[in-house]
Amino acid sequence: MDRRHPSVAAALALAVSFSAVAQEPLKIGFSMSLTGPLGGNGRAALLAMQMWAEDVNTKGGLLGRPIRLVYYDDQTNPANVPGLYTKLLDIDKVDLIVSSYGTNVIAPAIPIAMQRKMAFMTLFGTNPNAKFKYDRYFQIMPNGPDPAVGLTKGFFEVAMTMDPKPKTVALVGADAEYPHAALEGARTNVKAAGLQVLYDKTYPMSTTDFTPIVRAIQATNPDLVFVASYPPDSAGIVRAANEVALKTRQFGGAMIGVQYATLKTQLGPLLNGVVAWEVYAPEPTIKFPGVEEFLARYQPLAAAQQLDPLGFFLPPYAYAMMQIVGEAVQRVGKIDQAKIAEDIHSHEFTTVVGNVRFAKNGEWAEGRPLYVQYRGIRGNGLEEWKKPGHEVVLWPARWKSGDLLHPYDQHRK
Amino acid sequence: MKTSSFTAIALCTALLVAGTTSALVTNDYFFSASYTVLQFVVLATAWNILGGFTGYVNFGSAAFFALGAYSSIVLDKLFEAPITLSILSGTAVAALVGLGMGYLTLRLRGVFFAIATLAFAEVLFTFVVNWDYVGGARGAYVVLQGRPPLGFRSFVQFLFAIMALMAAGAVAIARFVQTSTLGLGLAAIRDDEVAAECSGVPTLRLKLVSTTVSGGLMGMAGATFPYFLSYVEPHGVFSLSYAVNSIAMPLIGGMYDWAGPVIGALLLGGLQQVLQVNVSADWNLFLVGALLVVFVTIAPHGIMGWTFRRGRRARPT
Repeated sequence: MDRRHPSVAAALALAVSFSAVAQEPLKIGFSMSLTGPLGGNGRAALLAMQMWAEDVNTKGGLLGRPIRLVYYDDQTNPANVPGLYTKLLDIDKVDLIVSSYGTNVIAPAIPIAMQRKMAFMTLFGTNPNAKFKYDRYFQIMPNGPDPAVGLTKGFFEVAMTMDPKPKTVALVGADAEYPHAALEGARTNVKAAGLQVLYDKTYPMSTTDFTPIVRAIQATNPDLVFVASYPPDSAGIVRAANEVALKTRQFGGAMIGVQYATLKTQLGPLLNGVVAWEVYAPEPTIKFPGVEEFLARYQPLAAAQQLDPLGFFLPPYAYAMMQIVGEAVQRVGKIDQAKIAEDIHSHEFTTVVGNVRFAKNGEWAEGRPLYVQYRGIRGNGLEEWKKPGHEVVLWPARWKSGDLLHPYDQHRK
Repeated sequence: MKTSSFTAIALCTALLVAGTTSALVTNDYFFSASYTVLQFVVLATAWNILGGFTGYVNFGSAAFFALGAYSSIVLDKLFEAPITLSILSGTAVAALVGLGMGYLTLRLRGVFFAIATLAFAEVLFTFVVNWDYVGGARGAYVVLQGRPPLGFRSFVQFLFAIMALMAAGAVAIARFVQTSTLGLGLAAIRDDEVAAECSGVPTLRLKLVSTTVSGGLMGMAGATFPYFLSYVEPHGVFSLSYAVNSIAMPLIGGMYDWAGPVIGALLLGGLQQVLQVNVSADWNLFLVGALLVVFVTIAPHGIMGWTFRRGRRARPT
């Protein structure tokens, strides 16, 4: 008898898994930036999405059907996106679609999703739905219902906690989609805080030497310096601020790149004192259900594939995006785009990036971008960044793990 | 064949293809991919009028393409102009800018002219990035609303039909340029500009016609781009890939004949579409690069030159 039990269980398990396999796969289609400027992040996001698919398939699939991800490389080129999504929908006959990474490649896919009335979950776009106003659009970046303002609000709220309060600010960013959006949001927050703008300029994306820019900012002697940049310029500006020994009370901003292991390890101690936008930090206050387990599984896989070995930025959100789609489909019980969209609108989701509820425009109903201050970084190794205490969360108050150290020039080292 | 007959046949063929495919093909992917290939037919044909027929290498194709795209955006923002008006204005603006650029730069030759066109693209890019009315660095949205016109099932089908007509028109213009006395003058400039000038060819005037027509056609290709993509931002529309493909396609097809860029665009553009969804993008780029190297070394005059030479060899003496 004892010997028969395991075999019966095994047979049952086999039957269950065979029934899932025998079912037509549930196809989820998307384009992803696997090459081009955002290729590194795109590949990391893809790995997270594959991990989700594997997790679901191990549990018997979704609606009893195994998940199959159907994806193509959009090369971070918006012109490729319409063709790829029409292929996914018309030739590959996918059941669901999600997006690639970033506004530039999300926006061209929205009209196609609208034409086919597809529920469309997207990954880190800065409000591309503002013009389309598509009611089945959703976005996983945690900046809140007004993404540009929500993205930058924390920097200025942290600044206004200083005593005496700051009075002046310098705004600088790259000539590109995201930095312009961030600067627009920053101007709104600057106005709300009653700060005087001493410097408000952008630089071409081809800029490599940021020393003249930082010197020009220094000449205006602002209390705050807010930067909106892409990875190469984030590195350049942080380096220049250290070379010029920038004197200001708070320095940082919505700088893309400092969230990745590459820049964290490359810049190392140069990041000390910087106040930057993050979406995850390994702090004791940030305990989203399952995020640590996710990262523990992700990190060795990413290291093997030479992807972002920390995975604090995009991967948990890519995984969460799929969790939300999966949960909604499971609850609806069938592939009904209208009902899936309705379900996502009307429920709160528990994901590896915390609890998520969506606003009417498809953004997070309540934003949760983090503003952290980098501290105590001694070397250029990776291990330091995995430990708490080096990315102290200053804002929002609910997740706060420490107070701002200021002025910047005294806490730079 | 007379130019008028060729033009009529080309336009009728385009209409027939657009009509038949719209009736028979039900998936939009076909139209989306074909739109991109035909867009490159227009771009490559336009580039070849200046680069192939006249011998002036233009690295600023993306700038003329962007002029067309941004003309449409301006008209859309002003009064949601119909697409036909956008195409006409995009063509006109790019043609005028082509004329102006030609006037300023055609004293330069060879690599210096090529660098000037590259600089022109950079100047225009900087201008657009700082022009907030057209979205600046954030880009601009053009949202097509309502039902597609003329009974088409989807907007992409409609845009494909328009692009097919534009491609036919561009090819007819290129053929006219090649076979007319204008083409002979341009060929004389390409072969030896000093000798052409000494022989009484009005070189500056012909070169200005060449830059105007070439620029105008590139602008025409770009005019429908915002409708196809719905979202245009400077880095995408000024992408170097437009400049590179505009040169590579005539190079592969053959630069001395109107059919060369068409063959090159259909081959390379079609191959890129196939590889994009069947092979990884790394291999896609590798294969395109390899193809270019092969053609430049084995068939420097492209497919047209190669077949013409083989035909001549095979002919009994």
